Formats: sequence, C-alpha cells, structure tokens
Amino acid sequence: MVAVHSASSSPAALPGTFLIPAFAEPAHFSVLEMGLLTACTLISGGLFFWRFGPILRTILQSKKDQDFSLHPLGRRMWEVFWEVLCQAKVIEQRPAPGIAHAFVFWGFLAFALVSLNHFASGLRLGFLPPESVVGRFYFDFAAVWAVLVAASIASLFVRRFIIRPIWLGRKVSYESGFIAFLIFLLMVTYLGAFFATEDSPAIKALWWTHTLALLVFLPLIPHTKHLHLVLSPLTVFLKRDGFSKIPPLSGDEDFGLVAGKDVTQLVALQTYSCVECGRCTEHCPAATTGKVLNPKEIILGMRSYLNVFGAASDSPLLVETAANGASGSHLSMEAAFQCTTCGSCEFQCPVGIQHLPIIVGLRRGATNTGAWEDTYGTKLFLALEKNGNALGLSASERDKFVAKQGFPIFDGTQEYCLWLGCMGGYDPKGREIIADFARVMDFLGTTFGVLKKEKCTGDSARRLGNDLVFQTLAEHGLKALETAKVQKIVAICPHCVRTISNDWREYGIAPEIEHHSEFMARHKDRLPQDNWKSGSIVYHDPCYLGRYRGVYDEPRTIVEQNGFLVEAPRNHERSFCCGAGGGLAFLGEESGERVSHVRAKELADTGAQMVGTACPFCNTMFRDALTAVTPHGKAPPQLLDIAQLTARHLPPILPN
Amino acid sequence: MKILVAIKQVPERDAQIHIAADGKWIEEDDLAYTINEPDAYALEEALQLKEKIGGEVIALCAGPERVTSTLRDALAKGADRAIHIEADDLAERDTLGIAELLAAAVKAESPDLILTGLQSDDLGLGQTGVVLAELLGIPHATIIMQVEKTDTGLRVKRELEDGWFQHVDMPLPALLTIQSGGNKLRYATLMGIKKAKTKETSTVAADAVTSTALELARIYLPEKQKQTTMITGTPDQIAAQLVEKLKFEVRVI
Repeated sequence: MVAVHSASSSPAALPGTFLIPAFAEPAHFSVLEMGLLTACTLISGGLFFWRFGPILRTILQSKKDQDFSLHPLGRRMWEVFWEVLCQAKVIEQRPAPGIAHAFVFWGFLAFALVSLNHFASGLRLGFLPPESVVGRFYFDFAAVWAVLVAASIASLFVRRFIIRPIWLGRKVSYESGFIAFLIFLLMVTYLGAFFATEDSPAIKALWWTHTLALLVFLPLIPHTKHLHLVLSPLTVFLKRDGFSKIPPLSGDEDFGLVAGKDVTQLVALQTYSCVECGRCTEHCPAATTGKVLNPKEIILGMRSYLNVFGAASDSPLLVETAANGASGSHLSMEAAFQCTTCGSCEFQCPVGIQHLPIIVGLRRGATNTGAWEDTYGTKLFLALEKNGNALGLSASERDKFVAKQGFPIFDGTQEYCLWLGCMGGYDPKGREIIADFARVMDFLGTTFGVLKKEKCTGDSARRLGNDLVFQTLAEHGLKALETAKVQKIVAICPHCVRTISNDWREYGIAPEIEHHSEFMARHKDRLPQDNWKSGSIVYHDPCYLGRYRGVYDEPRTIVEQNGFLVEAPRNHERSFCCGAGGGLAFLGEESGERVSHVRAKELADTGAQMVGTACPFCNTMFRDALTAVTPHGKAPPQLLDIAQLTARHLPPILPN
Repeated sequence: MKILVAIKQVPERDAQIHIAADGKWIEEDDLAYTINEPDAYALEEALQLKEKIGGEVIALCAGPERVTSTLRDALAKGADRAIHIEADDLAERDTLGIAELLAAAVKAESPDLILTGLQSDDLGLGQTGVVLAELLGIPHATIIMQVEKTDTGLRVKRELEDGWFQHVDMPLPALLTIQSGGNKLRYATLMGIKKAKTKETSTVAADAVTSTALELARIYLPEKQKQTTMITGTPDQIAAQLVEKLKFEVRVI
C-alpha cells in the first residue's frame, strides 16, 4: 500500500518540481531482506566492538591523570565547536585539503539522519518519507553534500595516491584508499537513488550497495586512522589545558613516561586519535632536517607499544636504537632527545594530540632514572647543579658583569627586577642585549634592579626531563624572588619568561613576569621612532614567545618602530625553530642539516638588511648560521635583538 | 666487593672566601659546600666497580651536620649506605688526627677496598689517604686513573709525570687515592634521590682531639700580582712566545 501512495507523488506529478529528480527508496523489503539486514548490521557492529573493545580497555586501564580537571569548561566547548565542528584548524593550516576534509566531515554530519533513516527504512521503519516536505528538503540538502563529499574525497584520493605529499608517509596506505573508495561509493549510491524509481531493480541494488559500504566501513574504523572519527572530538574536548603543559609527577614512584604503566589515559587517548596527517612532521624542525625524530612516529610508536605491551607493562618505552635504526615496538631514545620543544607539532595537530607532554614525559622517564647517558647532557646537569647556570661558568662572572655595568641590586625600592638569565648574565651577545635593554629602561625612567644572586630558571633541565635539577632551581629562584620582595620581573629571554611564569607554578607562585617586547611595546609612544623606516628588518618569531606565549604583535610593533618590517615565509604560529630549544643548544653537534642554517637561510633570503630577534638563544644560533649561509664575499644581514634595535635610536648618553 | 669511599666536603669552587677574624681559617657561614672533586671521581670509580663486579659501596664523611647533604648526594648517585662521623672541630685536627677518625670507622666495616680522592680542594695536602692506609696496615697506591679487578686483587694505572703511566698489581684489601678526570661523572637523578631517602646513614661520634703535630699558623688569600711583559721580535717570534706563555704560564691553551 505504500507503493500506491508514493506512486501518486511521483516527481512528474508535482508541478514545478519535475526538473529536479527526487530521491527514491526501494518500495518494499521482504522479511528475508530484513533478516539479512539485521544479521549484517549485527555482524558489522560486533566486528567493530570486537576491535574497538581492546583499544577502549587500554585507554581506560591506563593510569589516571592526577592533575586532570574539566576546568575551563567553556573553553573546552568552544574548542570542540571551533576546531571540530567548524574545522577551523584543519582549514586554516592546510587550506585546500582542509576544505576538502571539512566537506567530507560536514557531509557525514548531514548524512547522519539520512543513514539512520536508510537502515530504518530497510526494517520498514523509515521515518523520513522522501515525498514529505521535510523529506524532500532534507534529501535534496543531503544530495548537495553528497556531491561535495564525492568531489572532496576524490580530490583527497588524488592527493594521497598521486601527488603523494611526503608528510603522509612513504608507505602507501591501501586501506586509506579503500576507505576513500567506500566513501565515494556511499555518495554515488545515494545520488544514484535520485535517478531510479522506487520499484526498479536498480534502486534495490543501489540501496544494498550503500548499506554494505556502510557496514564494511564500520569495522574498519578501530584499527585504521579513521578511529579519529570516534575519538578526536573527545580528545579535543579533554586535552590538557594549556600549551605544552607538563603534568606534575605524582607520588614517589612517578619518574615520567618510563614504561607502559606510566602512560596516562589522556596520553593513550591521544595516541589512538592520531589521524596520521603528518602536519606535525611537516612543521618539525628535527624531521625536516634529517634527524631520526618524527613526531608522528612518536605518537604511532606509542600506540603500537600499547598494542603490543599493554597499559600495565614494565617494558621500557625508550630504547637505544639499534645500528639499523630499528627499535622494535619501543621508541627511539635518540629521537626523543632530538626535539627542540618548538611546539609546532602540538600547535598544528588537528585532533588534539599534545606532543610536548609526551616527548618531555619520555625524556623525564629516561633522565630521572639515569637511563639517558649523554656526555653533553651530563655536563649541562652538573653545570646547573654546581654553577647554577647553563653555560657552566663561575657565578662570580655574573657578579663581575653586574658590577661593570653598574646595574643596581634589587632592594625593593625599584619597580622592576631585571632578570638576566644565563644568556644575559654570562653570554657575550646576551650581555649586549641586556645592556641595551637596561639603557632603554633608563631612558624611560623605569627603575629596576637585578638580583644579587640569580640561578638559571631550569628551562633546559625541565625540557630535558631532569626534574631534580629543575625543582632545585625553581625552588631556589622562587625563594630568591620572595626574599628580595620582587613584585614585577622583566626578562629578555622567552625561555626564562615561560619557565618562571608557567613551569615554576608546580612549586609556588612567582611574581608577575613579562618579556621585554611586551614592556617596550607598552611604552612605544615614549620610545624613539625611525620615521624614515631606513632599514628593512625580517623578524623571527621565537617559539617560546610565539606559540608558547602568544606574543606576536608586540615585538613587531618594536620592529616597525625601528625600520621596515619584513615577514619570513614561515611566521607567527608557523615560525620555524632556530634549533636551540629543549636544551639542544647544549647537546653538541646535530646530525643531518642544522636547523639554524635552514632558518637563517630563510631569513636571509627575504633580502632584509637586518634580522630582528627577541630571544638570546635564537640570536646565538643565527650568529654563526647567517655567516655560514651567506655566499662568500657578501655580508650577512645584521643581527639585532629588538632591544638593540631600539637602543640604536636612543640619544647618546652625554658625559656630565 | 665491599668498597668504602672516604669523602670530604669542601666549599664550592666559586664560593666567595673570606678569612676568619683570627686568621686561622675561613668564615664558614653562608658558604655553599659540595663534594671534593677528586672524591667525586673516587665515588664514581667505586660505583662503576660495583656495577661491573657487584658488591656494596659505603660513603664515609667526617664533619659537622652540613656534611650529611654531601652524603645524601653520594647515596643518590648510587652508594648503598653512608657513615657520618660527627665532628665539629675538623679545623683543629691535623692529617693524622683526621686519618685516625676515619680509621676507627673503617675498621668496624673492614672493607675490601678503600677509595678516596688524591687530595682535597681546600687544603690540598694529599696525605689523608696515605696515612689512613698506614694506620690500617694495608697497601696503598696514589694518583690512580683506572682500577681493574683481577683474580688475585687489583691492577691499577697510576699517573706519573710527563705523560707516563705505571701499572701496578696489588693485593686486597688496599687503599687507592683517585685522580680527577679518569671517568665521566654521573648526574644525580630524581630516582636516585628518592631511593636515597630509604638508605641508611649511621652516625658515629668522633673521639676528642688529643694532641696535634701540626698547627695552621695563618691562612691568607693569594696576593694579586699584576705584571706586564712586552714581547718583542718578528711577528713569528712574537706569536711563538705568546703561545708558549699562554700554554705554560697562563695555561689557557
């Protein structure tokens, strides 16, 4: 009888709508077909849970994240809306494939109702009759999406298998191709139903093909990258609050990620969410300069470790790599210690994976237990332990410098405590920057003093996973600032700023600290202006100022005040590391191409007359690199910190 | 093998030293202390021997309460237990007096091997180890770069002058004074510190000072001398002389 009713509402019968074909459903399903559909659905669902069950168990059986809290709920919901529903990050960072992906995703959402109705109609329970007003509208609406999805998935197929960007991995993933084919098939069989009549054999064939494509797709989800369909919205919602947030160690038996038993639920969830898009690899300064480290492989390696050993294992996560580079189902120690902690991977990840707590966690596991044996690393830790600075110089060298510059000692009467840092206190170029910044402060009439004794913030120890040294230095620093009654700190080093304002929180609350770019930008109206914009300056975003602190405009304000601002090809959030972070400045020669040379070349190739930096480590790295990448006989661009750029235009100090 | 390492705590290398009012010793308040460097190498050698052949490493240190922090560091680096000889009057004792203190504690342990740094960074007498061996009546060897266990005892590598080395076979028990730089020192780890908390540190009281054969009359900071020498000659000669001075007088290259 359904047939009778629907026959009367055939497309041609509706005036004005005959030009657009209407969606058709098979008119009738036999009991046998209904039985078959039920059985196939149960088998498909059963296979899905048979494969998804162990993954879910691994995640749930992993160690609880002690510091986890749902706060701030509003931001979490916003991120799910913006990053998942709106696909903002996916599109923003890789526009063309991003849009294609977004169409597929939105198409899937549009199809949720269609698919539900599809199965319901096969059981004679259809709730969205194609001839109803709502049905007519919705099926047409879905058809638009079907066209977009089909076109998008086809172009993504071409990208993956014909253009083949290396970020997707050298190995061709046949299952990805098969799934792309299934999605394409789903769309084609849906659209086909607009051109078939409801009692034709063609509509049955289309209906069943559509059904089977869906039922084959479902059990393929858990063990392929398509698991992100299920997990990533949750991963984005639950990820740790804060960029590169390193969780505190919990209890006396926690030394970081030593073995499977230390992998927390968030880490497990994140590793299973990886969609293998390779954005992390594409932007990784290590992976793109020929190092062993590939952040994607760290995540996938962690996943295969969990699959092989489970979440309760005592088997070490990191092993020294064999001569052929293989580390079995373990992760490579060498790779873990090649990370500059620039944070590009974590920033880029569209599914909410936080690489830095994982990589730093692995390093903690190796360093805190003494498993990491590295001559340079040991030297650095001993220098921090004994001398309290990363350069391994005697603390009296700082005293001499402070005396020579005539910096006042902070005594509570000054507004700011000027934090020198290891570079500002000991490194020749860092000292020039500090001296120039002190001149800027003097010019502004801002009172400041330096601590009588100041030790390293412990940044490099923190990133290399040495919690003992880090804790000792953090506690020392907190106490020194408290004793001196410091209210406000200003520093030239983004690493100091990040570590004091953020990482020290584990041991206490430090006074408010800001980077000198923020300080100078605030006082820009009182600082000299180069109205002629006489020089062109390419500005390099330091990782720890940009991605870590979100400060992009302030240093640019200063640069623009002192010349003509030029942007490097990779700027702002996409800035490329100088190679010094994560303690790597102290770890000796790199393998492969030098990160600093790659970046220095990029900066020099802009043709700018000057390179403006806002971090003494970047400055140090580029000092030699700029010379090395400049053709023989030509002068490299001048390298100046934003404090030096400003100080150049200050009126000379007249002897009185 | 039971290895005992005798450690001394000294002011940190870059500490600002001030002479005490009586001119007999330095002002000890507000000074940061650390392990004597050659003793750190002695400890490292002991830990590496233990890792190779098994056994126990005991850290021994005489001094006031503050030396327990150095003992804790030794435990964190891998020593199994520690002995603290409580003595607030080390400055009043001479080498023999201190060696006697150590000998009393060592005898109670009867170790197979005693290691100590070849000299201390503060006084630099280089005698405590040797006198201790004499008091215990066991053989000793000094300025040791390498230690190897043999079937009958030890084979050690001594540093002589001018780049020469001497290999000595010696029986056990024995005492060795260790030269700096023979090994790579390890860093203290969080795990080590946590483990150190469960390790035992026994405290023994020091005997009272009897008589001393040696007395510190006066200590003073090195007197600064500024000297300017003009080097003359052809550029080649000047360069050669400059290199010579930098190498052998200033010792920076």
